[in-house]
Amino acid sequence: MAQYLPVLLLLALSTVFAALSFVASSLLAPRKRPTAAKVAPYECGIVPDVEPPQRFPVRFYLVAMIFIIFDIEIVFLYPWAVTYRELGTFGLVEVLVFAAIVFVSFVYLVSNGALDWGPAKRLRVAMGERTTESTVARVGPEGGPRAGRAA
Amino acid sequence: MTALLAATAHVVLPKIAYHSILPVLVLLGGAAALLGVSALVRRPLDTSAVTAVTVLTALGSLSTALVQWADVRNHGPHVAIDGAIVQDGFSALIGVLVSCAVLLAALVGDSWMRREEVRGPEFQVLMLISAAGAVVMGEANDLVVVFLGLEILSIALYVLAAFDARRQQSGEAGLKYFILGSFSSAVFVYGIALTYGATGTTNLPQIADYLARNVLLHEGLLLAGIALLLVGFAFKVAAVPFHLWTPDVYQGAPTPVTGFMAAVAKAGGFAAFLRVFVSSFGLMRNDWQPAVWVVAALTLLLGAVVALVQRDVKRMLAYSSINHAGFVLIGLQAGTAKGVEGALYYLFTYTFMVIGSFAVITVVGGRGDGLHDLERYRGLARRSPWLAISFTVLLLGQAGIPFTTGFLAKLEVVSGAVSGGSTVLAVVAMVSAAIAAFFYLRVVFLMYSSGAPVVELSAAGAGPGGEVRSLSLPAGVSPSVAVEGGPAGAGGGVGTAVAEDEDEEIATIPPTATAVAISLCVGVTVIFGLWPAPLTGFAHLAQLLIH
Repeated sequence: MAQYLPVLLLLALSTVFAALSFVASSLLAPRKRPTAAKVAPYECGIVPDVEPPQRFPVRFYLVAMIFIIFDIEIVFLYPWAVTYRELGTFGLVEVLVFAAIVFVSFVYLVSNGALDWGPAKRLRVAMGERTTESTVARVGPEGGPRAGRAA
Repeated sequence: MTALLAATAHVVLPKIAYHSILPVLVLLGGAAALLGVSALVRRPLDTSAVTAVTVLTALGSLSTALVQWADVRNHGPHVAIDGAIVQDGFSALIGVLVSCAVLLAALVGDSWMRREEVRGPEFQVLMLISAAGAVVMGEANDLVVVFLGLEILSIALYVLAAFDARRQQSGEAGLKYFILGSFSSAVFVYGIALTYGATGTTNLPQIADYLARNVLLHEGLLLAGIALLLVGFAFKVAAVPFHLWTPDVYQGAPTPVTGFMAAVAKAGGFAAFLRVFVSSFGLMRNDWQPAVWVVAALTLLLGAVVALVQRDVKRMLAYSSINHAGFVLIGLQAGTAKGVEGALYYLFTYTFMVIGSFAVITVVGGRGDGLHDLERYRGLARRSPWLAISFTVLLLGQAGIPFTTGFLAKLEVVSGAVSGGSTVLAVVAMVSAAIAAFFYLRVVFLMYSSGAPVVELSAAGAGPGGEVRSLSLPAGVSPSVAVEGGPAGAGGGVGTAVAEDEDEEIATIPPTATAVAISLCVGVTVIFGLWPAPLTGFAHLAQLLIH
């Protein structure tokens, strides 16, 4: 039983910390109601004068994907590099196959325009054109749940 | 660091028997090749080329799985790759089943891609990767490998569920499946950890061995591990009370994906479920059998009863698939070789019936994949007799009518339950089958009743107002449009009433690839229903390495 004591202590400690955080937050936080200016979309201090929902490319998402691909590759390459003598030819071949698969996904990303920073030229559209009409949910009298999709 | 290096100075390389994972390699190789080629060519790949490669890959993995089957028949079952992979009749059968599912789903997906103007290889690539995960689950001999297969299967399916970027329900389905699926994966891994803590190994035969040699004084840890594994599996195969994601995901996902998901996710999930519980935890039978009994009974009844009140045909078949999961669970609950055999046979027949059914729904759903109200099926027999007859056969097969494979499948699992002493569960199963027959027959009745569809405005997924008008037009306005998928401009929101009318006629004429897939499904259901010997023999010989 004694070996579980640190676990129990840590459990108790984390519970107390979580509870204290909530209590402290409710005691210390300023109690001011949100105003219209506070809840408005933030556009670098400029008062927005156009209808907000417009599509813009989120390129950092693709860059993040490239990061993940190479991140995963290094996670596997590093242990291999440490023990490559023991693993011999077998390890080399396996790592090459692994690297080839990783490379295919990288090539796929590049072919989808992940590294094009200008206007999207090579960005392939897999499924027709998407507009705010087709994918942004509008509530109110003119928009039902399926109003966006023209059949 | 030096201590670590010293500790790993002697790496014992396992002998890698590549032929034991050949179906997986073929599926993944096909996927990687498609992805690579599509990235290198300038224009998007032609849909027919993508489908051809996918079908060839599926045929390749089918033939390698059959070679494995012959190998197991001749040389007996064995383990490979340092005990991580097992080669037995069971794993070979799952390989065959999944390959068939990929083949059929690729054909249905082809027509769907043309109709919805989906370009690129992503759809088929994800399908191949997901199928590879299911095959891994079928031949996994280690809890960690089971988890690996589960994740390969699931992650591709999360993306596939959200594939229809133009429908909000599809994104919702993907997100729901992703969040709930990740949560259940976490539960599953926790179950693996506790089982490892209790037995000191994650290898399935070694767990069985450990339990056979040792008497656990405090079995709380192991029981908790088994319970968490049960929850993880029950989520993947959509057993009550872990089924809540199923209706929404099945309804929201693109219809070909729904058919594929219903077949392959269940096959993979049940393959590992059966192997882990019957092989490894066979000696703990008295502990898990009551829990599985309750889950099976709830799954059977809830699936059948809730399906009765559905207006959306995809949602109805989602609950019907929950009911089917209950039948497979009966085979698991028996915990015997006969039970496993019944469950496998059920999975095999179910795969063809469910993919065929969703192929018909794909055709009737029309462009936009949104017209799934039951009223759409009123008078289908008059508009498209062939489609109506196929759907009738597939639905009757799911209901378990004699002279279809579904009858024998239900009979096998129920007789297995009776011989295992679970008479009450067998009665529950038969009651649920009787309830389920009602909603299958209701669709058949609707298809053969006269009159044009009456669309209720309040019904979920009801189409635009043009629907009623267009369906009352005489058939055959423009059959040539059916194959070509309509004018290119119709999909992008500039669709007019004219394009819509043509789509309504498309809805009753299945494209060639889908027609082939539906014919194959109907053929298997009827031929092996009349002549069951080969398929029952297949399931009978497909035994687990240990049971």
